[in-house]
Amino acid sequence: MGLAGDATDSEVVRAVLGGEVERYAVLVHRYRDRYARYAARMLGSLDAGEDAVQDALVRAFDRLADCREPDKFAGWLFLILRNRCYAERRRRQREGRPLDERDDAVAAADRPDGTFEQTERMRALERSLTHLTPEQREVFVLKHIEGLAYDEIAGRTGATVASLKMRMHRAYDRLRDLMKEHL
Amino acid sequence: MSLGYHPLVKQLLDGELSLAELPPELRAEGAEALRLVGAVDRTPVVLSPALDDRVMAVVRRHAASRTRRAWHWVTAPRDVELRLRLRPLVWAGALAIAAGVALLLLRAPAVTPVPASLVRSGARDSVFVRFVLYAPGARHVALAGTFNQWDLNAAPLARAGSSGVWTTTLALPVGQHQYAFVVDGERWVADPAAPAIDDGFGRRNSMVAVTIRGARTL
Repeated sequence: MGLAGDATDSEVVRAVLGGEVERYAVLVHRYRDRYARYAARMLGSLDAGEDAVQDALVRAFDRLADCREPDKFAGWLFLILRNRCYAERRRRQREGRPLDERDDAVAAADRPDGTFEQTERMRALERSLTHLTPEQREVFVLKHIEGLAYDEIAGRTGATVASLKMRMHRAYDRLRDLMKEHL
Repeated sequence: MSLGYHPLVKQLLDGELSLAELPPELRAEGAEALRLVGAVDRTPVVLSPALDDRVMAVVRRHAASRTRRAWHWVTAPRDVELRLRLRPLVWAGALAIAAGVALLLLRAPAVTPVPASLVRSGARDSVFVRFVLYAPGARHVALAGTFNQWDLNAAPLARAGSSGVWTTTLALPVGQHQYAFVVDGERWVADPAAPAIDDGFGRRNSMVAVTIRGARTL
């Protein structure tokens, strides 16, 4: 086995399951930021995204024995985080607290290199994303923010490419409507 | 009234067509659509540096509480009443039940490593005491004590699956007993879950008190 930072996910998972709890820090460090943007965009706030990532990492530890393919820990963690994001959105809807479209932690910051118009459009898009359904929002985030292809999104989420395209195309129409003053 | 994008423009947004491939009458709509997706913010999100510590603090707590739960499961009293004056047939049945319970205890999965321990099952003149040691690297574990004249071969422990937990159940007479585990025939280990006393020869032994109500470590 290599150094902690060089160890594969599979090696670390097996070590943690063998009782070396501290080795889990390797996975925490490795994945803490990888899905941060996804979580923040899904929940509309950096704070909510951070809470979700933290919770997902803890849940992954609690269920580590259920990780049947330790070498695919990253994908397995993503599914836990994804479920966490969906659950958080459902919880907010039940409590009558929709996503915070004012949140400026995720919305575009003022860019010295961007025009006022570009910055406004960026913020408008962030606000508009909060009005999509969770499924539409997810496919938009994964394709246009994370830069994944449809087949990669399908691999991560378990949805078919056809259904992902349908969601995305509805999202385009909805966003066009929401963004009409900024285009 | 909302107006959706033309299907070809959606293909443009999906990256399946270029703007130049659109019919001329759709290029303005295509350019507008590209402005829309061009407004996405791909700035990486970096979480608080303290997140690692927060996660690991919770993880350590959960790991400890998991061990405590396993420990509680192992040490929870499970009484098996053996009525010594019963007729032979009933006596055999009671023994079968006791054996069944012991078997269940031995076969139950240990979800996390557990420290060494003992559990009790009460009888009128003797008590079944279960000894448990977590020794994942051991090849052989035995229990030696005042109840078997410190015989290294009298009470071997059995490995409970692949969890690293070794157990044995002995019927001990009422009274106080000193004991220790012997790992691989040479390493004497006091029960980590029980107070130890000096045996006067530089080793540490654990103590168990057996009464008709059960057994407890001293």
